[in-house]
Amino acid sequence: MIEPSLGAPLDVHRATVLPDWIDWNGHMNVGFYVVAFDKATDTLCNQFGCSWEYTREKIGMTFVLEAHVTYDREVKEGDPLRIATQILDHDAKRIHYIHMMYHGTEGYLAATNELMLMNIDYQTRRSAPWPEWAMERIGKLAAAHASLLRPPQAGRLIGIKKK
Amino acid sequence: MLVTLPYEMPELVTRAPLDTHTSTVLPEWVDWNGHMNLAFYVTAFDQASGAFMRNIGLGRRYVDGKHGMTFVLETHVTYDREMKGGAPMRFATQLLARDAKRVHLFHEMHHAEQGYLAATNESIIMNIDYTSRRSAPWPMQVAERLESVWATHRDLPRPAKAGRVMGLAKK
Repeated sequence: MIEPSLGAPLDVHRATVLPDWIDWNGHMNVGFYVVAFDKATDTLCNQFGCSWEYTREKIGMTFVLEAHVTYDREVKEGDPLRIATQILDHDAKRIHYIHMMYHGTEGYLAATNELMLMNIDYQTRRSAPWPEWAMERIGKLAAAHASLLRPPQAGRLIGIKKK
Repeated sequence: MLVTLPYEMPELVTRAPLDTHTSTVLPEWVDWNGHMNLAFYVTAFDQASGAFMRNIGLGRRYVDGKHGMTFVLETHVTYDREMKGGAPMRFATQLLARDAKRVHLFHEMHHAEQGYLAATNESIIMNIDYTSRRSAPWPMQVAERLESVWATHRDLPRPAKAGRVMGLAKK
């Protein structure tokens, strides 16, 4: 297991917009923003040992319960992406966090993704507490993120505002 | 504002909720957990939004003819139950609100044979000027069709899963 990166926010995930991710509007399609964010979730889960190997070895799985995306600006094919992740809250089985996607060189905010992730028992496919070793690391990450300001995109209520 | 669009409009479906869209979970949408990955629920819902937009006159021809586009501004998904590869889906779509350039849609995805609710999605979609790629009012013809749809959707009860704010409920 890797040593968790305790910088706040977690800012290690990098990616590139793939040709397959582009739609007829000539930009990254709404679904593929979530594909890109999900890979950043793998990077987060890898910090506490609950990424691919966790499932491959049939130890457990993680399921997303709820997701909220704000699409802030377009990104095009080949654009570099930088995704930073902030843990907002956690309990014995869940983590509530938000990803911020930036254009890797121009720096603008392209999108945000707030998520609720739950630990799942491999056999029953039902919720289960985080393994002790994972919980300890999640606690360290959450403590490192505790002093960050809450992004305005977290906890949004969707709707058309009356002007 | 565009007044009319130079292609034939489909017959307007005003049934509320709109229930014309069905689909199937594709093999490439399945992830290492053996179920439809969360991102492809968004893709599947986006296609259901496409069915709603086509109904009001904004299909592929709208973009290909360089008249305009529609962009999603924001989306919220609740993942209620797993869907496996090949599972048939049916969608019900409710128009929750609309203004001069935006719609607020609520979709429910059901397993088409077993009937269970698999997920819900709320989306805000905006009309976009093709050249400037900035927001623009609906073409007039589309705005009229949208009003006819709104007339039948406005009295539907508000879905319990609409307007959620995410958080860990303290027990």
